[in-house]
Amino acid sequence: MQPQSDRIASPARRGFLKGGMALAGALCIPLPALASRTVDSGPHGTHEITDWIWIEPNGKITLGLSQCECGQGVYTGMPQVLADELDADWQQVAVTFVTGRDAYRTGAAYEEPQQFVGASMSATLFYQRLRIAGAQAREVLVMTAAKRLQVRPGQCYTEKGRVYHGATGRSFSYGELAEEAAKLPLNPAPRLKNDAAHQLIGKDLQRLDTPAKVDGSAEFGIDVKVPGMLYGALKFAPTVTGKVTGLRNADAVKAMPGVQAVVQAPDAAIVVATSYWLARKGANALELEVDPGPARSLDSDQILAARQAALGAPEAVVATKLGDPDAVLAGGGKVVEADYHTPYIVHATMESVNATVHVREDAIEVWGPIQGQDFVRNALGKLYQRQPETIIVHTTFLGGSFGRKFLPDFVVHAARASAAVGKPVKVIRSREDDIRHGFYRPGVSGRFRAVLDDKGLPRALHARLTGQSLYGVIKAERMAKHGGWDETMLEAIYDCVYRVPNLKVEMIDVKQPIPVSFMRSVGSTSSIFMLESFVNEMADAAGTDPYRYRRALLAHNPLALRVLDAAAKAANWDRKPAPGVSRGFTFNLYTGRGEAFQTYVAMALELERSGKAFRVRRVVCAVECGRAINPNLIRANIEGGIGFALTNTLKSEITFKAGVVQQSNFHDYPLLQLAEMPKIDVVIVPSDRPPQGCGEVSLGPVAPAVAHALYQATKARRRSMPMKLEV
Amino acid sequence: MDFVLNGKATRFDGDGDTPLLWVIRDDAGLTGTKYGCGIGACGACTVHVDGNAQRSCVTPVSSVAGRTVTTIEGLSPDRSSRVQRAWIAKDVPQCGYCQSGMVMAVTALLKQNPHPTDKEIDASVSNLCRCATYHRIREAVHAAAK
Repeated sequence: MQPQSDRIASPARRGFLKGGMALAGALCIPLPALASRTVDSGPHGTHEITDWIWIEPNGKITLGLSQCECGQGVYTGMPQVLADELDADWQQVAVTFVTGRDAYRTGAAYEEPQQFVGASMSATLFYQRLRIAGAQAREVLVMTAAKRLQVRPGQCYTEKGRVYHGATGRSFSYGELAEEAAKLPLNPAPRLKNDAAHQLIGKDLQRLDTPAKVDGSAEFGIDVKVPGMLYGALKFAPTVTGKVTGLRNADAVKAMPGVQAVVQAPDAAIVVATSYWLARKGANALELEVDPGPARSLDSDQILAARQAALGAPEAVVATKLGDPDAVLAGGGKVVEADYHTPYIVHATMESVNATVHVREDAIEVWGPIQGQDFVRNALGKLYQRQPETIIVHTTFLGGSFGRKFLPDFVVHAARASAAVGKPVKVIRSREDDIRHGFYRPGVSGRFRAVLDDKGLPRALHARLTGQSLYGVIKAERMAKHGGWDETMLEAIYDCVYRVPNLKVEMIDVKQPIPVSFMRSVGSTSSIFMLESFVNEMADAAGTDPYRYRRALLAHNPLALRVLDAAAKAANWDRKPAPGVSRGFTFNLYTGRGEAFQTYVAMALELERSGKAFRVRRVVCAVECGRAINPNLIRANIEGGIGFALTNTLKSEITFKAGVVQQSNFHDYPLLQLAEMPKIDVVIVPSDRPPQGCGEVSLGPVAPAVAHALYQATKARRRSMPMKLEV
Repeated sequence: MDFVLNGKATRFDGDGDTPLLWVIRDDAGLTGTKYGCGIGACGACTVHVDGNAQRSCVTPVSSVAGRTVTTIEGLSPDRSSRVQRAWIAKDVPQCGYCQSGMVMAVTALLKQNPHPTDKEIDASVSNLCRCATYHRIREAVHAAAK
């Protein structure tokens, strides 16, 4: 998996100047990298049919992938959809990352169409688009064959990369037909296969990227090599809002072995050298003059105190109001109330952010683990006054992202370094700086209060969440125009699926000068912890089992009931747990950004006690995420999501002191280890809905399930994250 | 400073305190071995030194003088080691970044303990995976041990 002969191709040959596309990063498996990536017409000697399919005369097919592969499986799942409608031979397909065309862009949550991966939306947004492309290509191949055979297209069928005439068995390979087929106009509404006719969609296909990920050949951003490349290491101003105002010993650092330049950027200085280690040594020796910025007196204690004060403030922004919650809540009855808290946390991708950039007169070329190709184009276009079309983005595999590599900050550092030295530079952020200078998921506090009826079900519920609003930072104008509340802070609460006749959901944006962004499951890793914990507290107050309590609250939603029942059945919920085992049960309807999709999840978790400690020994997760394109990939997303959420639940906390993040590496920002990973059983509930997102849906329900299992064992509530698995 | 890297005599002329990781990656150009933490905490940089798993980010290159270093690229020419085959069969990787180190760590473990129990796997494999593929790693270790 070695890109790439296209690196040194002149930009004028790439086709992007004509609005064409750049085939970047020859992530070709199982076939070897194609000889050329200069692509007015796709890979050399191939014939382009649709924006997604290139066919060589020998029958090899290259499928375009617009969505970056950061572990979620799009490298397999999306080509699987295309290849199925195309009737390609799965053993003969190669995959390559594509960019630069409208076909690869999607608009999410009311924004301009962009090429990016986010919010678990690739399957939902591209399923139909890819099916249509595959079917369009298949149609022109069939028409070409029919013409050559002088038969009707309807008398032909396709199978594994060939068109057959049914009556005579005569056939042509797609390779033989492609040149002519590529000249035919595409049918905007081609006939799609019936679900039952799908040969690949729905199958447990193995990942195409696995072989290259077990022999070291998969190319991540950090692995990029460009001729003449130098290496950059960063020295940041220490605070999260720090600015570099001067360099104290730049001359001494420039005299160090291998050091070529010291470049000042607004938030950091970049030492450029002939190897990364020499750059790192230079950066370690560099002394900065800094302005700590508005976070200079920021402490975690104050942040929490401000959020807690807001919980009791007289006024808040109301997001949802149903019935007359104030009157019912004031009327008394059986009351349940609780406060919850979550900390700031950070992505901590195993591959720290990095990028290689070459700023030239004619173009800017970028190689790296990029989650938002158009965000990179826009950021560099603005910084260097260039047309976005002259910015070439080569996307490698991403060594984890979870939302982190969606932002272009790390690409900008490499661009500044390259612009200063006139050569391509690869800038790698150290683990310490990746943790201390990230974009954090904000911490949130919540206050929940309910009045229960005589069956113990909520007559009214009031939820108030307070904290630094993500949309208040990144979409302030839109948020202000649309009621002043932030869906990411109130996920699963503002659109509460449970039957609550009188409901008030509100929030207060407690501003902080901390950089924040999307992180896997976004605000729901706080809001679902709070909502589901509170539902369990209401169930306890009602004296009802948490599974049955949810059945009562979701009696109006048959799909939700199916998912609850599937989890309960797989977990043997009705059987008493073994001695020393306690359990938690949770649910979530995940609706993504701007309610882009609906995925139902129910979770049953088992905790095993050993002395004063506990371990999570098993998690059963039932998921209904629409039609399963590839169950193997869905299971992997659910399994990994549970492990990721266990790290959040048990370990993750970013704290600030005088504006400086107190954690710096895996010794003080630990991740879940293999020994702590439970057995996981994923139940994929059959569905006739189109594919829905599955990359984030299993996270939210984990923490409240752990908290409730701990409560069952200890009778002490766990209302803050992270929580310790101890008595 | 001379050592053997994947069977080839290799010379490094820079500072002896340079971590082996960066010599392997930037000088030898073998990028399968990854930088994860730089403090020996995550294991993404695991290589074999004289057959034993070692975290190359905290191994000064001077300490491998005269010794034999094997990286993921040197494990097999065609992904045919039993650990690699098990990893493929169980479709372990997600993002894949940590998996070179995982494969190297597990290969060394199985050499010392051909049939580890779950408890022994827990005690031996401390490499980190942010995608939390641990569930399948455990299955793949057992599959490789068969």
